[in-house]
Amino acid sequence: MKDKEISPLAISRRGLLTTAGRAVAGGAALSVGSPFILSARGEVPAKIGLVFAKQGTWTEQGELLVNGANIALEQAKGQVLGRPVQLVWYDEPSPQAAQQNLQKLAEEEKVIAALGGTNSGTALAMSAVARRVKIPFITPNAAAREITGKECNPYTFRVLTTTSVASRAMGPYLASLGKKWYFICASYAYGQDVYTEMKKQLEEAGGTEVGSDKTPLGTADFSSFLLKIRQAKPDVIVAGLPGGDLSAFLKQFADMGLKGKIPVACPIIGDSDLWSIGQDAATGIYGKPWHFSDPTNTAADKSFIDAYQAKYKKPPADKAWLGWFSMRSLLLGIEQGKATDAAAIVRGLETARFEDGAIPAYYREWDHQMLRRSLVLKVKDKITDKWDWLDVLKVTPERAADLEPQFGTRDEVGCKMEAL
Amino acid sequence: MIDTLIPQIVNGLVLGFLYVLIAVGLSIIFGLLGVVNFAHGAFFALGAYFALTLYETFGWPAVVFAPILVGLIGMAVEVLLIRRLYGKEPLIGLILTFALGLLIEALIRLAWGAGGHPFSPPPFLAGIVEYGPLLITRYRLAVLVTTMALLAGLWAFLNYTPFGRILRAGSRDAEMVGMLGINLPRVLTGVFGLGCLLAGIAGVLAAPLWTVTPSMAAGAIMPAFVIVTIGGLGSYLGAIVAGLLVGVVTALTIQFMPEASAAAMYVLMAAILLVRPRGLFGERWERFE
Repeated sequence: MKDKEISPLAISRRGLLTTAGRAVAGGAALSVGSPFILSARGEVPAKIGLVFAKQGTWTEQGELLVNGANIALEQAKGQVLGRPVQLVWYDEPSPQAAQQNLQKLAEEEKVIAALGGTNSGTALAMSAVARRVKIPFITPNAAAREITGKECNPYTFRVLTTTSVASRAMGPYLASLGKKWYFICASYAYGQDVYTEMKKQLEEAGGTEVGSDKTPLGTADFSSFLLKIRQAKPDVIVAGLPGGDLSAFLKQFADMGLKGKIPVACPIIGDSDLWSIGQDAATGIYGKPWHFSDPTNTAADKSFIDAYQAKYKKPPADKAWLGWFSMRSLLLGIEQGKATDAAAIVRGLETARFEDGAIPAYYREWDHQMLRRSLVLKVKDKITDKWDWLDVLKVTPERAADLEPQFGTRDEVGCKMEAL
Repeated sequence: MIDTLIPQIVNGLVLGFLYVLIAVGLSIIFGLLGVVNFAHGAFFALGAYFALTLYETFGWPAVVFAPILVGLIGMAVEVLLIRRLYGKEPLIGLILTFALGLLIEALIRLAWGAGGHPFSPPPFLAGIVEYGPLLITRYRLAVLVTTMALLAGLWAFLNYTPFGRILRAGSRDAEMVGMLGINLPRVLTGVFGLGCLLAGIAGVLAAPLWTVTPSMAAGAIMPAFVIVTIGGLGSYLGAIVAGLLVGVVTALTIQFMPEASAAAMYVLMAAILLVRPRGLFGERWERFE
């Protein structure tokens, strides 16, 4: 009942705003002396929503993702299908607030698509909203398997590899270092994902778990955990810890004199987390989607690195690249779909192919997971550069035919995509 | 078994002493000003950040100025803001200090960036000490000794100096102290500064222990509140006993039930409050009842 009362008012207000918007756009075009025809073709800008943290634990990731997205848009000359693009950035302080903000972007700002989610918690929550309000939603930095697994939906696309893919990429290498593993994983979605997936890798390799701890999210002091690990004498420590926690863990790991004695591995790490550990304490074997000094980077990657370096005076962290790659994929997807309605964008994203070295990357049609290579890296024994601390150990897969299996079969992924 | 327990207990005690240092500042401010200082954690973080910058610009000895700076900022905050809260609804104080905490955290992000900063212990304190099953980093040992010395010094200051006597009297009956011709507003500014100074010292000590991040405030303020509650409001001995209890209980929970380690101190608090509603050493305070 209430909806019916409100809707006529909403429509008339929207009509008014659009008219006003056009008038302003036209006026602006005239005042700078552009040809009159521009204002007719330019129309109202196409808005793309961003929902990334502006405050709290995830602020830095949010900033990096948005910086990257901005560069992608600048490189596309700020437009898509000949229309100017305007980015609208909202905050994501909690899963609930992120949901509200995405909904606001869809309903009030009328965005044609959105990028969002610095972490799995907010990304999962927003994915449900994307489905409800029917806008294409790309989440660059969430690793939880459900997003393109059993909670998948036609509007949600994900760029980062899942924890299981990253684990599969590094599992065999870790098993070659030793068969007694200790798990220290934070008690939330990502940490527990790491535990389950790496445990699977361990079992496949016929190894044993010598200990496993669930740590509270945001643990500042790991000394008590480290004492336990030290007594368990594992061959490998699997750390399913998010950025800040991992920094604290590795720092105290080094302080306790354990650095270099037991290898630490984490299937996914961000550069900024690594940098905040400090050169003295940095150690370990890590999975990453991309690394700025990877010799196999493409020409487009290099143009991004140059643009980023010029603007921010340091090499882009992986999060900045994820923001860039996600926005780039969205813009290319829209160009591919040739229209800005949700169905066209979704089709465009599903069929677009993105240049990515030897094997092109793409969003898999039946689960909307971005299929592309994974890197396994190791912290250099002796760090000499201010930013480049990692050596690439392995790029997987090596052959195009192995890409699909690396990301799991339909049964393993568990996505039952409904019709659009 | 004993090989497992001893290192954990010692480790818990180190953490406990650090918590005590944070909690004592909170407790003194509350006892005397009647203000629950939600910004206490932010002053703690500020101490860590000042230490970081002073160390990077001037080297290790300059780090001692970090807590003094924090104390001075605390005094300025008292004169500008906190002073207006005395005798008012406690809720206003909560809101103001909470907002202040958020503001300081935002300023920290602005000045130093949102990412974490590595901060290693000074070279002469690097390394570990091993005695049989006991393993402790040299820096942690130094933190233990420093906090114990500081707490003893503070105790002597409160009990044996005229200023300490004024503080203790003021915390019981501020009006009476004022009537005796003591310039109470100035004393109160000093007290808030002292509380912040203590938070700053704890921040400086914690910086090489943990990673320096804007969110480190949250990790410090919750244990401090729990300790003040367990120990009993305004009780110095209470804060020490409660701090050590929280440290040891947390360490032992990590050993035996790691997933419950974050909740352990709250369970401890609930259990103690059931038996002793005013906390372990809490007495009846006419001002607050």
